Amino acid sequence: MYVSPIREPLIKGGKDYSQVTKDIMAPMAGKPSIYWYVGIAISGGALLFGAWATFVTVYYGIGSWGLNKTIGWAWDITNFVWWVGIGHAGTFISAILLLFRQKWRTSINRSAEAMTLIAIACAGFFPLIHMGRIVLGFFIFPYPNTRELWVNFNSPLLWDVFALTTYFLVSLIFWYVGLIPDIGTVRDKAKNKIRKAIYGFLSFGWTGSAKHWSRHETVSLILAGLAAPLVLSVHTIVSFDFATSVIPGWHTTIFPPYFVSGAVFSGFAMVLTLLIVTRKALNLEQYITKVHIESMTKIIILTGSIVGIAYITEFFMAWYSGVEYEQYAFMNRAFGPYAWAYWIMMTCNVITPQLFWFKKIRTNLVAVFIISIFVNIGMWFERFVIIVTSLHRDYLPSSWTMYTPTMAEVGLYVGTFGLFFTLFMVFIRVFPVIAIAEVKSVLKSSSDEKKHTHHE
Amino acid sequence: MNKYLTAYYLDEEDLLKGLKKIMSKGVEVSDVLTPFPVHGLDKVLGLRRSRLSVVAFAGGAIGATLGFLFQAWVFTRAYPINFGGKPYFAVPSFMPVTFELAVLFAAFSMVFAFLISNNLGPGSKNIIHDEQITDDRFLLVVKMDEENEERIKVVENILSDAGAQGITLKA
Amino acid sequence: MEKLTFKLTKKTITVFVVMIAIGLIALLYGVFGGPGPERVAANLLLNNYYFLSLGLIGLFFVTVHAISESAWHTSVGRIGEAMAAFIPVGGALILLFFVLGGLHAVFEWTHEDHLDAILLKKTPYLNEPFFYIRSVLFIGVWAVMAHYIRKVSLQVDHNGDIKYFNRLRTLSAVFIVFYALSSVVTSWDWLMSIDAHWFSTLYGWYVFSSMLASGVAMIIIVLYILKRMGYMEHVNVEHLHDLGKYLFGFSIFWAYLWYSQYMLIWYANIPEETVYFYERHKNFEGIFYVNLILGFLIPFFALMTRKSKRTFSVLIPVSVIVIIAHWVDLYLLIMPGAVGGEKSGIGLLEVGLTIGFIGLFLLVTFWTLTKAPLASKKHPLYKESLDYHTNY
Repeated sequence: MYVSPIREPLIKGGKDYSQVTKDIMAPMAGKPSIYWYVGIAISGGALLFGAWATFVTVYYGIGSWGLNKTIGWAWDITNFVWWVGIGHAGTFISAILLLFRQKWRTSINRSAEAMTLIAIACAGFFPLIHMGRIVLGFFIFPYPNTRELWVNFNSPLLWDVFALTTYFLVSLIFWYVGLIPDIGTVRDKAKNKIRKAIYGFLSFGWTGSAKHWSRHETVSLILAGLAAPLVLSVHTIVSFDFATSVIPGWHTTIFPPYFVSGAVFSGFAMVLTLLIVTRKALNLEQYITKVHIESMTKIIILTGSIVGIAYITEFFMAWYSGVEYEQYAFMNRAFGPYAWAYWIMMTCNVITPQLFWFKKIRTNLVAVFIISIFVNIGMWFERFVIIVTSLHRDYLPSSWTMYTPTMAEVGLYVGTFGLFFTLFMVFIRVFPVIAIAEVKSVLKSSSDEKKHTHHE
Repeated sequence: MNKYLTAYYLDEEDLLKGLKKIMSKGVEVSDVLTPFPVHGLDKVLGLRRSRLSVVAFAGGAIGATLGFLFQAWVFTRAYPINFGGKPYFAVPSFMPVTFELAVLFAAFSMVFAFLISNNLGPGSKNIIHDEQITDDRFLLVVKMDEENEERIKVVENILSDAGAQGITLKA
Repeated sequence: MEKLTFKLTKKTITVFVVMIAIGLIALLYGVFGGPGPERVAANLLLNNYYFLSLGLIGLFFVTVHAISESAWHTSVGRIGEAMAAFIPVGGALILLFFVLGGLHAVFEWTHEDHLDAILLKKTPYLNEPFFYIRSVLFIGVWAVMAHYIRKVSLQVDHNGDIKYFNRLRTLSAVFIVFYALSSVVTSWDWLMSIDAHWFSTLYGWYVFSSMLASGVAMIIIVLYILKRMGYMEHVNVEHLHDLGKYLFGFSIFWAYLWYSQYMLIWYANIPEETVYFYERHKNFEGIFYVNLILGFLIPFFALMTRKSKRTFSVLIPVSVIVIIAHWVDLYLLIMPGAVGGEKSGIGLLEVGLTIGFIGLFLLVTFWTLTKAPLASKKHPLYKESLDYHTNY
């Protein structure tokens, strides 16, 4: 296939196939570096903090949190929505970019999808623990019972159960189907017997047959076709949790697409944060190049701008609607007691990503890293603003309250970070962080050295 | 007892050229093993387009139907609950779960069909002809009759004429 | 020899002129003997908005694919550019319509003596001077940008220098940012404010998704006509497949936004919001469902397979259906507020006027196509666009 000379190479260093295998598998081989141990120690500590907070919450009940009669949802749901949002980048990269034939996806899809799975696990933890009695969590599934009672299919919270379960399972098989050939590579390169046996089992007996590859491609495509609307549906349904209600600031029709856009926005920010570090630590700079980072920053501009337009639209409509409750909710957001949260959100989400219009900033890794953290913070505050500021001024001034998190809530949030980074670091050691076979399939058309020899 | 004659290339374009040559001489290549999906290989080998999409569609249709009917049954027959004065048969609220189940069933039925049709799965014991094929080798496999040693010679020659390397005979 | 220069035959021109004449006759019938001035005005607004939007979507397509460096689209890029030539024409027509009494005939808020407490609060935004400022500004910028983008695009073709391509990308980015804001605001101004009490934050994006689907359908139809005349040989089945996927995808996207808006309003059941759909359920029930069937169910099932996206015999009927579907969509957005359930209907006036606008739109589009080679051969991505396979 001809590739236009204006396209920048995606894989640098003039690799051949076997070099690709070696480079990508390098982080799995040998003993982990000292940084890895330090990282796992820190995230393990965070995880322990989270375990303590979980114990406190389960032992004392959610009275140990800062919630009160007016503010029934706060950090827990903020964190839930934030983590679900972060999970969206992985599927977006592997499904939607696949449908749009974006070749740069091949270097980042594996790790982004792993991130998705871990993020959904972190997200799912919050509603579960919010139920108070976590052992009764299975009540959310419709199962035949002696009371002949079913779950409420009219409730958006129940839709969430289905959406997240489906999203997790479909992402998992999508990820795993993509992993099978690469696990085959790990199996074939394994030196000792136990390792070979384990990866042999996990590789499902992959042979690399032409027929298998042909079906593998079809399956990947159709899974992408299914995952694309699925990824839209998940954050749409999360937004329904708020938008179906009649609470000013929550009930607004723009929520579904705006939440999806915000989710992809925060997801890409997290992918950038992680990969800028990972590519350096694992020596993968020739695979995850500045071109990849630049492409991701462009998606951040796009989704960030959509989010910005949605903010403005909401604000304008609150005025235009003439509904005084709606107007009050928005004025209170911008100038009320939580105004600081609102302006953090506005600055981080609307202003900072616009810096990516400048190529100098897009290609400066330190700047990209910093902005990506800003976006992560901004998107957390977005959910906080939506949830807490809409709730804390109830209809009756006598029920107006403020909200402060307790140590248990902080612990739960920090704990999910611990979980996230621990699992991510385990993933780095266990599976290839880049899709080896997929990178090989675009190597000829997208690597720098070979590029000029293969034009007709 | 069958034997396999294997030979490999180190570049997918050489493989495609060589393969065309070999097949034009009447050698039946039973399989080609590659480290990644090679464009145009399906055509050379004459593989049919996979019909896994039909499985996905059927799975999705079943998932959607079951999901919708179940919700409708729960709310109109099994345990009708009035919520917000809405009708019991509230189609808009049934849509999310219906959609999710459609996707879930479609994805899982297709992936299971994929694994079964390829004989892949946990503990599957497929023959691994060459451990290099998951790295950088494009291996072709020709099934041989053990008795017919002359034919083996002939095929070996055809393979080496077509530029294939590492021609080996395996049990 | 590949035919690169498009020539309009007399026969084609005649067909378009006859269509325009039908439209004019329908208009005269409407004004002088037909169903009343509100219906005429509402229909003029509908068609003006629809075809102006199709022109804008043409430009949107050109610009989006320029900044995303999509190779495949360079093969059909000229069609979008030609559709964009309708922007100044459509823009002028819609302004003319507002000035010549259309504004008063359709928009309740322009009658100052009718304003109730709620509408009075909206007067800082909904007042005639500001309305005209916004409309003129948006249409003006669109027309100017369309002109420059076209000019730079032709320069890309004349001169292979990468600097023209880069300039095209810069202009495209500017246009997209402007269009993202202006398309939302114009949908509020020109459509949503018909029901001046009602509001929905999703409205702008919903209308945009509707126009997006019908814009792709229009591109496919224009491509088909050109192919039938023996042009566009460089466009192969892979390009068609991509357009088919867009039609499929955007139809689903439209349905998604439709559902999101409808479900949220239905679920929360707040009177000042549900009144909008209540009216549409009560007086427009049949067409309400027809809209969903034409706009979602038919394209969804018809375009699901790979084969159907690669054959004109499926794509063309579906494209026509999609274009009708989004006409119906606009009908449902405009008529209940502007004309009301009792007086509105689909008769000679509606059909004739729409045919007239289609004639005008196609005349402008095809006339513009004669102005430049149908393939942009020096475009840096042109060669790449000829050599690719779509597996999916």
